Amino acid sequence: MTSAGMKRMTPYMFLAPAAAIMAVGLLYPIGYMVYASFLDWNPSQLISEAEGVGLRNYASLLGDASFLESTAVTLKFSTIVVVTEMVVGVGLALLLDRNIRGVSVLRTIFILPMMIAPIVVGLMWRYMYHPSVGIFNQTLKGWGLEPVPWLSDADWALASIIIADIWQWTPFIFILALAALQSLPRSALEAARIDGASGWQQIVHIKLPLMMPVLVVTGLLRLIDSFKVLEVILVMTNGGPGLSTEILSLRIARTASEFRELGVAAAMSNYLLLILLALTVIMFVYNKVVDAREAAVRQAAEEA
Amino acid sequence: MFMIAKRVAATAAALSLAAGAASLSLAAGAAMANPYEPYKGTTLVVNFPAHPHYHAVMKVLPEFTKETGIKVEVDLLQYLKMREKQTLELTKRKGDYDLIAYVVFSKADYVYADQLENLARFFMNPKLADPKYDPDDLITGYVENIGVVGGKKGYLPGPLDSVYGIPFGSETSVFGYRKDIFEKHGLKVPETYDELLDLVCKIPELEPGMGGLASRAASGHQASHAFLLHLAPLGGRVFDDNWNPTINNAAGVAAAKALKKIVDCGPEGAKTFAFAEAGNAFLQGKTAMFLDTTVFASSVEDPKKSKIVGKVGWALHPKGVRRGSQTGGFGIAIPKNAQNKEAAFLLMQWLTSRHGDKLVALAGGNPSRYSTHADADVNAKYPYMKTFGEALKYADPDWRPIIPVWGKINADLGTTLSKVLTEGLDPQEALDGVAARTKAIMEEAGYYTWQ
Repeated sequence: MTSAGMKRMTPYMFLAPAAAIMAVGLLYPIGYMVYASFLDWNPSQLISEAEGVGLRNYASLLGDASFLESTAVTLKFSTIVVVTEMVVGVGLALLLDRNIRGVSVLRTIFILPMMIAPIVVGLMWRYMYHPSVGIFNQTLKGWGLEPVPWLSDADWALASIIIADIWQWTPFIFILALAALQSLPRSALEAARIDGASGWQQIVHIKLPLMMPVLVVTGLLRLIDSFKVLEVILVMTNGGPGLSTEILSLRIARTASEFRELGVAAAMSNYLLLILLALTVIMFVYNKVVDAREAAVRQAAEEA
Repeated sequence: MFMIAKRVAATAAALSLAAGAASLSLAAGAAMANPYEPYKGTTLVVNFPAHPHYHAVMKVLPEFTKETGIKVEVDLLQYLKMREKQTLELTKRKGDYDLIAYVVFSKADYVYADQLENLARFFMNPKLADPKYDPDDLITGYVENIGVVGGKKGYLPGPLDSVYGIPFGSETSVFGYRKDIFEKHGLKVPETYDELLDLVCKIPELEPGMGGLASRAASGHQASHAFLLHLAPLGGRVFDDNWNPTINNAAGVAAAKALKKIVDCGPEGAKTFAFAEAGNAFLQGKTAMFLDTTVFASSVEDPKKSKIVGKVGWALHPKGVRRGSQTGGFGIAIPKNAQNKEAAFLLMQWLTSRHGDKLVALAGGNPSRYSTHADADVNAKYPYMKTFGEALKYADPDWRPIIPVWGKINADLGTTLSKVLTEGLDPQEALDGVAARTKAIMEEAGYYTWQ
């Protein structure tokens, strides 16, 4: 090989190990899942024995009322959870971004829920929601109020799992928002203070816009995560009553283990993947648009 | 990984033991025949559920090792999780399990996938089969429900059937009631469904704060189980003889209404009870009646778990248009990919023999033999055993279908019934929906190919 050719090859040679790992570790499992979604595959069979059914799994899912209901539940759950967590998490971060005594202790306490294993969170909340011995109903009864059917009524059950998820994951938003806040350029804030901006004005016009790139990524991560939440709900309601809390990942798990339809479960996973991919692309495009607009504004300012 | 490592160590130990034993037996000569001799020192790996019956079995296993020299290592799993793990194990070329306990509805899957040994092979082997085993003494309903396949409808007995498992930790449904409450209000133990359903809502009126009957109701398998419990005695079936769903006929609707009434008049939170919570409500004195598996009886008399020790009477599952109590629980079978099949058979035979069955029963398990139910020692320790023996005469092996697509139908039935219980969906409408979806599932699975 000529030395010029060698030179041209060098970067690819350095990339090769990473590319190989990516192919084995990432593309292979995803490819496997996509392949499986075209099969009528029962867990008692080897994958080579499974019968190909083309797009049947995908088509039948679109007409499957339970799957559509699960999707609706998932969308509802994720939207409410992510919006609330963002508001509360960022709010808390704004409140705690100051030098008061003991603030680091407070911060540590705030992120505790996130560190507890999901199964434990599920069990804990399930006992707290318990109709007769749970702390919530005990308290309500103590105040002379009617007990609430936390997990036994369809609407309440969804609300209950939302509350538990907010409790567990708000700290995640909080800690990232706090980090973003603390790395903001002090000069911009100082300039605003000198110009006499009120605390509220500083938040709306300076802190939030500057934090936006971090917040978008945080929100996206939380969104992806909330689409995949499984254990807490599994323990708390196992999808019930009816299908009211059966989010997609739970439906996928049940399809694979209870109904023993691995092909259908793979097709569902692919639908979930597509939804998440679409969301990610939307976020990405939105970011690009915002960047482009900012760049245009900056350029206009420079030219003026 | 850990388990494999353990197995290797165990095998090594077994080899050295076997070598020692061989030289010993050479010296002693074949004076006493011991069918277990060739397997002495073998370590069997078995998969059992974490379940009261198998907790009792664990107490008895050391006795087996003492008598036979075969060691047993137990992998204990939650019973609804077993199928997943076993499916993985059974599809391996060389399995880790020598003997498995399976939930009855796994029978169809495993046999259909050709993953279990036909037991005839072992019972035909004179070196392994114990002539005193007495299979006639095994409870017929259980054997038909749990062990037999290949007859009527594929999962019931018939002239061409064969046996793949032996019932072990099987159960039927019985009715438990609080003697003290019934005496206090002069109530009669219900013999029919009308009487039962009348009592169900009367008890909360007579005893404020107490529910009528503790029942499962949680979305999915639990609600479905509770419904099927009433379906058979009320004269219903999930399918007719041509696999047409009949779950939405008058009997089906009556069963759904019965379940709704029971849950509505049940203890606080009854709508989401799984088996453990329903049982606990009864144990804690929050309901006056219980209608479910016989397995539960040993907990009632356990002062560590129960506040109602000595206060409970047992009776047969009430009669609707017919008697029909559930059959279910577990059977034990030998996987095709097991590595110590002969020794596993010996363990299986020992556990389900008259001797083993009695030992397990005395330790608090559920016997699978008529003789154990009638046994004086067992009855002295567990006086309800005689009633249970009586109940077994009506054990219905066809109270729920055991076919590979049942998992899916069961889940649909259970979630739809949960809507009836919690969201006020009309029972007829709900069951019509289940029947239509079931028909489609059966069609897809090819059950109407010959029609």
